[in-house]
Amino acid sequence: MAEVGKYFVPQGMNRFRTVALGVGAIALLLWAGGAYFSTEQALRSWLLGFIFWGGITIGCLGVLMLQYLTGGAWGVVIRRTLEAGARTLPLVILAFVPIAIGVYSRSVYAWTHLPADDPAMAHRGVFMEPWFWILRTAIYFALFYVMQYLLDKWSVQQDKTDNVFDSERILEKASRFSGPATVIYSLVVTFAVVDWVMTLDAHWFSTIWGLLFVAGWALSCFSFTVVVMAYLSDKPPMDGILGKRHFHDLGKLMLALTMVWAYFNFSQFLIIYSGNLPEETSWYLTRMKNGWGYVGIILILFHFAFPFLILLQQDFKRKAKWLATLGIFILLMRLVDMYYQIAPAPRIAPGYENASLLHALSWLDFAAPVAIGGIWLWWFIGQLMKRPIVPIQDPFFESAVSHGKGH
Amino acid sequence: MFADFDMSKKIYGIMAEFDTATEMVDAANEIRLAGYTKTDAFSPFPLHEIDEALGIKRSILPYLIFAGGITGLLTALGLVYFVHVLDYPIIVGGRPYFSLPSFIPPMFELTILFSAGTAVFGMLFLNGLPSPYHPVFNVPRFALATREKFFVLIEAEDPNYDYEVTRKFMESLKAQEVFDVPE
Repeated sequence: MAEVGKYFVPQGMNRFRTVALGVGAIALLLWAGGAYFSTEQALRSWLLGFIFWGGITIGCLGVLMLQYLTGGAWGVVIRRTLEAGARTLPLVILAFVPIAIGVYSRSVYAWTHLPADDPAMAHRGVFMEPWFWILRTAIYFALFYVMQYLLDKWSVQQDKTDNVFDSERILEKASRFSGPATVIYSLVVTFAVVDWVMTLDAHWFSTIWGLLFVAGWALSCFSFTVVVMAYLSDKPPMDGILGKRHFHDLGKLMLALTMVWAYFNFSQFLIIYSGNLPEETSWYLTRMKNGWGYVGIILILFHFAFPFLILLQQDFKRKAKWLATLGIFILLMRLVDMYYQIAPAPRIAPGYENASLLHALSWLDFAAPVAIGGIWLWWFIGQLMKRPIVPIQDPFFESAVSHGKGH
Repeated sequence: MFADFDMSKKIYGIMAEFDTATEMVDAANEIRLAGYTKTDAFSPFPLHEIDEALGIKRSILPYLIFAGGITGLLTALGLVYFVHVLDYPIIVGGRPYFSLPSFIPPMFELTILFSAGTAVFGMLFLNGLPSPYHPVFNVPRFALATREKFFVLIEAEDPNYDYEVTRKFMESLKAQEVFDVPE
């Protein structure tokens, strides 16, 4: 049986942990100061950070279930990293508290100030009550937590098995669970992002909204995982485990999700463009004028076209550091994308009607994602260091390792 | 069965039979190191190692597919531009004649169609298929290449080919058996 002790990530990662926590704490203090003076802006920026980092957490949970369903060497080598990502869920729930308080005190979403006879409020009834909105989010988090908790529990059990039959049985249990759980997961993500992001503009709606985030968060998750894998790939124990082919496979998945992201986004745009109805087009009109249009073009070019053309090349996908560099770039674009969805939406404070990009952009939009991100990374690395970095007792572990060394 | 078989006839190449994939890959490595370039290998299942062993370069097919995709994209753009702007301009839903978002779906579809077509037909072309006749089938035991045996071939067209030398070299590779492949 394999020796568990030598499969932990190097202690050197502690260094990043301290730095991340320090940077995060400073940014959090700055943000808290800003929140005192401009509460709505601070909570908007917090929502940006929450959606971006929470997206990686929830994306990790989704990809974790996906790899149980599909199997494959890529899933075996990144499984523990995905689990560490999913175990940041308590922090994400904690990061939701300021938003919940903001909704309850009616100081972040413009819909909390709409008159009761507004069509968006009258027809949706209790759905648009702050207490019910917060209760729904509690249910989403409870469901995510059950999925994360069970998969994590079985993983720990699998690490403790001493024969292939027990290990196989646990793997099968996790795979059987992941099927129906993935369906529930997609529905929960859809409901969650409709509540968290789409209601920013209460009069606007899009039916592909949930899938946009399912795909976008999976892309965030893979980009982030590739960065972690590339960092670990030349240090023990991962230098003996990860091979070019693993990165090639992860790169292919990044390519696929880059395309899916563009496909869903364009579908949404084309349907609204073709329908040409005032209540739908207003969302895009806001995002095409006053400087926001440039952000849209940046997203088309650098969230889609550039990564797409780069990832088409086989040689690029097989080089860990190159792929990780692109991963960081895509993560930055994910943040820009989230900003493009969140920032131009209507606000409670006056003076923001048709606000230009420069007028809407605040230093808090940088402070909040850095604050959540620093603490998130501190938490994540701590989780990553707690367990062996690969599922050593998994029945497919050895074949997954040899897959990486092939061509 | 091979009534017209005649040793004085032209030889297509010399083929060696092996029992295992490892033995064949080892032999293929020696063949490459001996300087032979017009070679081929046959196995019942794909063997990734053989590309390296025989020095087979990566196919140019991906580049052809990319070019095919770009051609499809531009063809579709040309088609819809010709139809909607030049030949029969008609206002649809108050949008301009050149309304790019509505053109993207056909552009996307033709990109896929042309790249998939290039992939399939380019693969067949680069593999020299369809090939109704191939001399290797003149060796009766070659039928086992689809079942359990592994074969390596040096073609007579190879610049280093010399019947006596090459045949002796092939016999030195611990092959199960060495065959002359009649043209």
